[in-house]
Amino acid sequence: MAKNKQEKLIGGVLDESRAKELLSKMVLTRKFEENAEEMFALGKVHGTMHPSVGQEAIAAGASPALRKDDYLLNTHRGHGHFLVWGGDLKRMMAEFLGKETGYCRGRGGSMHIADVESNNLGSQGIVAGNLPISVGVGLSIQMRKSEQVALTLFGDGATNEGAFHESLNMATIWNLPVIYLCENNQYAMSMAFEKAFKIKQISSRACAYGLPGITIDGNDVIAVYKAVQEAAIRARKGDGPTLIEAVTYRYRGHSKSDRQLYRTREEVKNWMKKDPIPRFAKLLDIDEKEFKKMESMAKEEIRKAVEFAESSPEPDIDTILEGIYA
Amino acid sequence: MSKEIILPKFGFTQEESEILEWLKNEGDKVEKGDPIVVVSTDKISMEVEAPETGILSGIKHGIGEIVPVTEIIAYILQPGEVLPELGKKKLETEKDKISLTNSSNKSQNMAEKISEGEYIKRSKPEGKIGATPAARRIARELKVDLFNVQGSGPGGRIQAVDVSLEKAIPEKQDPLDDLPAVLKEIPLIGIRRKIADNMARSVREAPHMTLQIDVQMDAIENARKTGNENVKKRNSRISLTAAIVKAVALAIKTTPIINSQLASEKILVLKDINIGVAAALEEGLIVPVIHKADLLDVSRISITLNDLASRARENQLKPEDLSNGTFTISNLGMLGIDRFTAIINPPQSAILAVGAIKYQLVPDESEDLIFTKKKILTFTLSADHRVMDGAQAANFLVELKNLLQQPEKIFK
Amino acid sequence: MREISYMEALREAIRQAMEEDERVFVIGEDIGVYGGAFGVTAGLIDQFGPQRIIDTPISEAGIAGACVGSAVTGMRPIGEIQFSDFVVIAMDQIVMQGAKMRFMFGGKAELPFVMRLATGSGTGAAAQHSESLENWFVHIPGLKVVMPSSPYDVKGLLLSSIAENNPVMFFEHKLLYKVKGPVPEDMYTIPLGKSHVVREGNNLTIIATSVMVMRAQQAAETLAKEGIEIEIIDPRTVKPLDMEPIIKSVIKTGKALIVHEAVKTGGFGGELSALIMESEAFDYLDAPVQRLAGLDMPIPYNRTLEYHAVPQVENIVEEARKLVKGVY
Repeated sequence: MAKNKQEKLIGGVLDESRAKELLSKMVLTRKFEENAEEMFALGKVHGTMHPSVGQEAIAAGASPALRKDDYLLNTHRGHGHFLVWGGDLKRMMAEFLGKETGYCRGRGGSMHIADVESNNLGSQGIVAGNLPISVGVGLSIQMRKSEQVALTLFGDGATNEGAFHESLNMATIWNLPVIYLCENNQYAMSMAFEKAFKIKQISSRACAYGLPGITIDGNDVIAVYKAVQEAAIRARKGDGPTLIEAVTYRYRGHSKSDRQLYRTREEVKNWMKKDPIPRFAKLLDIDEKEFKKMESMAKEEIRKAVEFAESSPEPDIDTILEGIYA
Repeated sequence: MSKEIILPKFGFTQEESEILEWLKNEGDKVEKGDPIVVVSTDKISMEVEAPETGILSGIKHGIGEIVPVTEIIAYILQPGEVLPELGKKKLETEKDKISLTNSSNKSQNMAEKISEGEYIKRSKPEGKIGATPAARRIARELKVDLFNVQGSGPGGRIQAVDVSLEKAIPEKQDPLDDLPAVLKEIPLIGIRRKIADNMARSVREAPHMTLQIDVQMDAIENARKTGNENVKKRNSRISLTAAIVKAVALAIKTTPIINSQLASEKILVLKDINIGVAAALEEGLIVPVIHKADLLDVSRISITLNDLASRARENQLKPEDLSNGTFTISNLGMLGIDRFTAIINPPQSAILAVGAIKYQLVPDESEDLIFTKKKILTFTLSADHRVMDGAQAANFLVELKNLLQQPEKIFK
Repeated sequence: MREISYMEALREAIRQAMEEDERVFVIGEDIGVYGGAFGVTAGLIDQFGPQRIIDTPISEAGIAGACVGSAVTGMRPIGEIQFSDFVVIAMDQIVMQGAKMRFMFGGKAELPFVMRLATGSGTGAAAQHSESLENWFVHIPGLKVVMPSSPYDVKGLLLSSIAENNPVMFFEHKLLYKVKGPVPEDMYTIPLGKSHVVREGNNLTIIATSVMVMRAQQAAETLAKEGIEIEIIDPRTVKPLDMEPIIKSVIKTGKALIVHEAVKTGGFGGELSALIMESEAFDYLDAPVQRLAGLDMPIPYNRTLEYHAVPQVENIVEEARKLVKGVY
């Protein structure tokens, strides 16, 4: 599409200021993940985390194409998505450190960050766990005759769980307003795509259930934006779900204890050359100076968030049993 | 600015790593992201990457060393920089603060200890008794000793109904309701408690048989009187009690079964003859012991008795004064009692009760109607029938009589 | 009062709840035109239409997920698992998602869904269609577990479960569907978490669930002729469990017999025994608490074997006699 600045539309869909905002968010995500890794290595984080380094473009392109009242059903690798959705970095960081001021009052941790008020129905600890839930959300939207859609995120690994098949089938037969966005980062933990699938593209599974399926370059923010936007239009019209396969790459291991013996450094380095962040920056004609400014702003925001989180109180032991029942 | 290389924590519970291999050496130029060292983790080995481009310096640990996670293991220096002070080894890290104190009463698993309600602990019966919780509760409330209750449940288990019958008091009635007005309440503690328990146990466990013999005390009284005339020191004078102690000790030697103890499945006939002489104190009865009385002469026994008596009055008896008694003598004659039956002092097997000396008219040995005035003392022996029979007890008493009536052997 | 069956009482409860609140809907297999495997939802699709009486493909994970997802976004679904055995396919959605979302999200989500499951043996359906798995769910914080034993109870308890703002696992016994009893016509609720003293007596406390309540009542009539008066308590809700009447009863009688269909090992009886032992009733126990439960085996197909694999009336009579006479 035209890079004509006078149009002020990037890729024909995003206006420049919004696009820059998204780039900042990508940078913020990257820095957040890196900072999180550092904190983990220093023993400051209890448990584990799943870095989305290298997959920032999908986060940047997906939720901006939706409305404020749409639903997000996130994955365990979902910090970026929530940040773009509008998540408060401070509260995310606090949840990360298990503090009372975190999104889940410290009870959920990285894997279960949710904000029901902003329609973020949570990250998943169970692969494909959010897929059957998407069916319920879709039914609910339909029954309430609302125009909302449910953006449901999952990885290539989830598409081999039974729940994936049950859910896509049900969503399709009932024309539920769900967007199934698969982040195919080529590895399900250590299982390489070629070993887990006979098919070449996950989107080809869509025909088994009768919904449209497309494969896009997951490292292209604009491509992601357009695909999600189209799927949303379909869904709101009542035409049912769409399966979008966004191909990307995961720079880090699955989680913190992943040696990554299943791939070579060369492979990782090659993909790093196609890093979506400098790519998007180039598309927006961002110069080095402006980029560095984004980086330092991101670092500052993170520093503040860490400060907030570290100075926040731990949950009170007397409240240990709270929040189980309504 | 020099950059620290931290040994990272790779797994949830990892505390330390072993250095397996240095991929770069001290002084090597490294690029950001280059792997520089291989370390072990809980699962497999991992590579640590250079956080910056620069010169690898200040390597702190060699191959095979175990290093705690988050410790600094080396530095990346820029050209011209020097290593920082070797003072601080470790970066400050937050420790997980998990303080699970027992402060929550909403927490199900962190129940606070509730102090037990008071209930009466009876003296421990031998072995254990099977009883249901209900039976135990009723026993506590009615102050019934379960030891005495016959159980009608499976395997002789005591059930609630057994305890109620035993006491034959309708439930919920306070047994103290029928008492007359109370003048004084004395707590059953200390010596009183001990005596109560011991005496109850003795009567409960040992079948007591009692034998009596009347002894003419004239000979021994005369011998004593004669002997004491020549003694200047008051406390060297031989008391009647001392003479009796010596006589008893000698009599025991002829019938050793008197001086024994019953232990689970056997009777132990004891070697030492340690005779206790019961003394009444305000708090209760105590029994100071004359150890190895058979080996002491009667004057020594007398001295010892006096000493024990005076120390007893002054509350200065030591534990060894009261321990290891094998036979007890109890004298109520001095209080005017003609004769009485004493209760055996467990774990002993016999006790001698000494009555008062009284004048009686004793018929002559011959057939003629001649009566002589004699000093008569009735001795009553209580003996444990589990340990000995009447004949043996009789033997002892007869020997005692003979010794007292012909006291030469006592004063030897 | 008119008498209707357990199944009809269920249908009435569902109908009345759906009439009153348009957020309530039913989702499950063969519940539409077919009317449900046991006939519970017969006719409802004519009244409410396929949007609210939703037939699904054979997808238990999908059904459970549909309940979770719609509940967390404002609806009040009633899911139906045709045979409680099939709940195993839905376990992730129920246990990892539905039960835990509220807690994991810091107490900020509500999951008001009811999962109805047809439970129990006695129909010759064999090992994979006859399970009693309620104790699996008693073990999961975040869930509530209900076991109605009569037509009157099932209507009141279902209406309460639908109104409950937490996930409820609602176990209906297959053998009870056709049982008739008095049921009021209006909407009424029976509170969750309250035990029910079904029968009073002084000699023995029997705590029974589901179909065992009825069997205990029959046993009680036999025993009464021998001069043994049984007190029967039906917890109605096994989680959260109301111990108060149970403790009071055991204090009175001194002896307790727990009767449930589920396999004895790892069954609810173990939990209840421990609770009795830990309570003030301990000091009043005059015999060990006894459990009469299913044999440790899968339900067999053969009719006789199936009969003897779970407690029957005569087993209850015998156990009660033994306990009262002091055999244990």
